[in-house]
Amino acid sequence: MEPATQPSGIQMTGEQFLQLRDFIYEKSGIYFADSKKSLLENRLAFRLKAYNFTDYEKYYYLLKYDPQAAKELRALYDTITTNETSFFRSPPQIEAFAEKALPDVMARRQKAGEKSLRLWSAGCSTGEEAYTLGIVLKEVLKDSLREWDIKIYASDISEKALRSAKQATYNEYALRGVPTEVRQKYFKSENSQFVVTDEIRALVELQFLNFMDSARMQLMKGFDIIFCRNVLIYFDDAARKKIVSHLYDNLNPGGYLFIGHSESLHNITRAFKLVHFPGALGYKKE
Amino acid sequence: MTSILEKIKKIDDLPTLPAVAMEALSLAHAPNVSISKLSEVIHKDPPLATKMLKMANSSFYKRGDKPVETIQRAITILGLSEIINITSSVSVLSTFTSKKGFIWESFWDHCVATAIVARTMARKIKMETQGREFVGGLLHDIGKIVLDYTARDDFQKALDLSITRDCPLYEAEQEILGTTHMEVGAFLAERWNLPDYLGDIIRWHHAPENAQFKPMTALISIADLLAKAKQLSYGGDKLSFVLADQAGWQVLIENRYLMDELDLERITFEMDSLAETVRDYIKSVSE
Repeated sequence: MEPATQPSGIQMTGEQFLQLRDFIYEKSGIYFADSKKSLLENRLAFRLKAYNFTDYEKYYYLLKYDPQAAKELRALYDTITTNETSFFRSPPQIEAFAEKALPDVMARRQKAGEKSLRLWSAGCSTGEEAYTLGIVLKEVLKDSLREWDIKIYASDISEKALRSAKQATYNEYALRGVPTEVRQKYFKSENSQFVVTDEIRALVELQFLNFMDSARMQLMKGFDIIFCRNVLIYFDDAARKKIVSHLYDNLNPGGYLFIGHSESLHNITRAFKLVHFPGALGYKKE
Repeated sequence: MTSILEKIKKIDDLPTLPAVAMEALSLAHAPNVSISKLSEVIHKDPPLATKMLKMANSSFYKRGDKPVETIQRAITILGLSEIINITSSVSVLSTFTSKKGFIWESFWDHCVATAIVARTMARKIKMETQGREFVGGLLHDIGKIVLDYTARDDFQKALDLSITRDCPLYEAEQEILGTTHMEVGAFLAERWNLPDYLGDIIRWHHAPENAQFKPMTALISIADLLAKAKQLSYGGDKLSFVLADQAGWQVLIENRYLMDELDLERITFEMDSLAETVRDYIKSVSE
């Protein structure tokens, strides 16, 4: 995560942290653990500055009682998740996918005599997550990848982001979590930029999709694993419930849903089984 | 072929539990334990008394600003059951850490993590524990120490097997050693005359439905898993699991604990700094 410099130097008290943390969790499902206090402090300092507030209490009251709060919430989410997308983001989740979820769904598929896999990077932004999934698939399956019918759908509501994803060209910063040997295998270096290899790009299918488009959402069927990380926070409670219920329907029985590493579906649905992976959580459809 | 367990039963120089720890543990169940009685027990072991004071003044246990200077004062501040916990934990830990070869950082990390998680979970589900959950968490895997002490090479093989096969350690132990850390630990608990609830936890923490002290053992079984999910684990237990499907979870539901009301995601996130808390605790015990 890029270190943000704190522009204000205003201290967040322990009590203010607990108030804001609980408020954000209730509204968005994103949880700031005690160890993340300075992160939240640093990020929100930008919002305080925008209002010329001199303490976090005022900002908390704005979020809680101001009629404009809904608008500010969006700004807050942008601040706390800013462009966090990168390759191999939240490594324990990627490991849970590679070592637990993927072998599990593959075994299930093989038992049914179907060598096919459908993955979905829902809210793919500029494509890093979708290509990461492709790289992991290749690393896990190696040469037997060819024997499988695999598609990684990557959807977003931003045409601009999708265009960028299609280029599959990234800078050093997006690759900061990528080990050297993976870099050498799956990226071509071009003018100090890194381009994802054709083999991985061929696995990914980009498409425009609005989560509120129920008709389209219903057409997304038969997925084994869905990644929908730090997307739900941008919707209100009712919309979030609707989207998650679509995602549930979009999954095959035995399929997995991964949301952001500190996001929770606790207040959204109990339809899934919560799975504890080493260092990460996931949701399984029975 | 005699099993490892049979061999262990014949070993004369198994570590013994210090008399003070046994007394402290037995006091935990005595009615009307007085502060002076407990303080008397602790003073029988001067190094222990010194350590107790250090701990009472450590960041993990300290309450308020004033330094705690007497055992009596420590007992008043921390409470009887907490002192009994500290006494037994310190004694048991020092019994084993002083034996060479038992410098298993990750092993103790896991035990302390299980104790801390058990305490957290007990509070969340409002279980009355009198601090037993903490001792139980610390000691649940004690059989592993005995296996390492008596059959190190084979125990190491079992550890390796559990990693390569990605299976629970006790399965690998059964295959290679013909016994498990639960079985061996239960034997030690008996030899040491540990309270029944501890024997139960040690014997049944992987199958709490068979325990006598069901809710307590179930609590430890859940804490054990959560500590592992937070990667405070030892050996090949790189498991994934659905907590609600665990026997321990069902036991707690049957005993009318309101498990469905727990926000498990939040609880899991709250444990984000568990490793740090564990390090602090171990530092305060070993200083």
